[in-house]
Amino acid sequence: MRPILLSGHERALTQVKYSRDGDIIFSVSKDHVICAWFSINGERLGTYHGHQGALWTVDVDPSTTLLASGGADNTIRLWEVKTGRLLKTWDFPTAIKRVEFSPDGRRLLGVTEKRMGYLGTIVVFDIILEVDADQTNEPSLRIECTESKATVAGFSYVGKYIIAGHEDGTVSQYDAKTAEQYLNLTVHEPDIPITDLQWSADRTYFITASKDKTAKLVSAVDLEVLKTYVTDTPLNSAAITPVKDFVILGGGQAAMDVTTTSARQGKFEARFYHKIFEEEIGRVRGHFGPLNYVAVHPEGTGYCSGGEDGYVRVHHFDKAYFDFLYEVEREQAKI
Amino acid sequence: MSKVAGRTDWAEEEDEDIGIPPPQITKNKDGTETIVTYHIREDGKKVKTTRRIKKTVIKQVVNPRVAERKQWAKFGNEKGKAAGPQTDTTSVAENIVFRPMANWKASADDKSEHEKKKAAVKDAKIKCRICSGDHWTTKCPFKDTMAPEGADTPADLGLDDAEPAGGLGAGGSSYVPPHLRKGGAGSGERMGGKYERDDLATLRVTNVSEFAEEGDLRDMFSRFGHVTRVFLAKDRETQRAKGFAFVSFADRADAAKACEKMDGYGFGHLILRVEFARKST
Repeated sequence: MRPILLSGHERALTQVKYSRDGDIIFSVSKDHVICAWFSINGERLGTYHGHQGALWTVDVDPSTTLLASGGADNTIRLWEVKTGRLLKTWDFPTAIKRVEFSPDGRRLLGVTEKRMGYLGTIVVFDIILEVDADQTNEPSLRIECTESKATVAGFSYVGKYIIAGHEDGTVSQYDAKTAEQYLNLTVHEPDIPITDLQWSADRTYFITASKDKTAKLVSAVDLEVLKTYVTDTPLNSAAITPVKDFVILGGGQAAMDVTTTSARQGKFEARFYHKIFEEEIGRVRGHFGPLNYVAVHPEGTGYCSGGEDGYVRVHHFDKAYFDFLYEVEREQAKI
Repeated sequence: MSKVAGRTDWAEEEDEDIGIPPPQITKNKDGTETIVTYHIREDGKKVKTTRRIKKTVIKQVVNPRVAERKQWAKFGNEKGKAAGPQTDTTSVAENIVFRPMANWKASADDKSEHEKKKAAVKDAKIKCRICSGDHWTTKCPFKDTMAPEGADTPADLGLDDAEPAGGLGAGGSSYVPPHLRKGGAGSGERMGGKYERDDLATLRVTNVSEFAEEGDLRDMFSRFGHVTRVFLAKDRETQRAKGFAFVSFADRADAAKACEKMDGYGFGHLILRVEFARKST
């Protein structure tokens, strides 16, 4: 497996995302620029300019026409994927930590930071999936997180619930239409923030990553913890692979702690765990800083990771990855 | 001559026109291409780049949506750039072997354990005979002020010729045979010594270059058969070879063959002399 190294960013990567067809990778970093890359050969399609601050998050709608991004300049911006044209800017009092389109692309969710007397909120905008449409100015839904601010959020299957991960290690389930909170459960260690939340292909369950060094597979219906993956390093990201029953975890010693810890070796790797047996099956090294985000190709043929070192590494899995089976799985396949 | 008129610096003009030869593309027999390009670096030096590439066409059937997007014009910082990955933003990293395996953790632990042991052995090799520190005796900071461990004679008595090996043991006035003296056990001119060794298949190699290593000798002699032991006498102070060595074979026939072939063999700048070791007295 020869990874493709994308070095278009000048500062630490914060998020990388595949388009629905997996052909384009969008990456955002703290250098204010969004990049679009073809996943097949690493060719850069273009860059999106306009943000005035570090970018924290990016998402693309399922038809790959609109791109949403949010960052430390307190705006969510909507872009035309094809040309890099800025279509719409929504202003907020605080930074945007996460944006995500609903599965049908008609709604856009944004998570705002808690700061300067403002509570952390989750806002939802109705989106018209056309480039030249006049997008709404006001959010259709607003959830205030009074207890603990949300760090990550996303839409469950058919956009029924909004699931949010919080700074205090809890996960909440809201109704995506009425904003009513149904559940709030402590999934991770109390008071240790959840750093990532990514969905399975059908969005009935998701994986959360936390600084408490674990990742958990959680059901979207009742927030029941299905599986737990224990590692030896704080995690920044976790993703579920389609085709094979694996999960990929990324993390590493926080950049600010690297110089004060001796055991830095071997922490900046993507860790592969078996999704069902909760057992580590391998690691992929390469980054020389913590991994800030891992994203999996929607067809399960590869993955890419964005690191604190400013590089995106795009991996296409080889045969050994697809051939690997546990003894019991092989037995099962024979029957 | 409109080109010249537009440019005042004739030297620069020449540089661009003649200084950079056009790129050459040569097709090789094995299907690869050699591309030679020239460019001028920022510091004014001309750089020649030779790349040998192999082109493989991989056809892939994709969704029409994906195919259409592949044809999109580039924009932003990439605007106007040629199709295909640009070398400044995209590169291929070194190959990574990724083989998923059950109980990966256990196997990884085993490996690190093994490496730890190896490292421990490596560390143990270096031990100062003066202060027992982990450096060579010659590098010891106390070598002028302290005597080697176990040697009673202080270094400043003027007994320069009395090497640590030759120094009397702690026993006192009674005579101690050389091979029982302290310090003689580590290394030195021990020929058989107190160990009863089967010397029938041992060769004595003399006139060895002082830069020789035991590994070199082992490589040379293992061509003739299984070598059980290689001993290269080294000077204690300089760690250089003293010029002779012993090589033991498992089989006497191999030893005989090696003796015949290697006697007179040129190694380094000297000619080796190889003979069967005489039983030490």
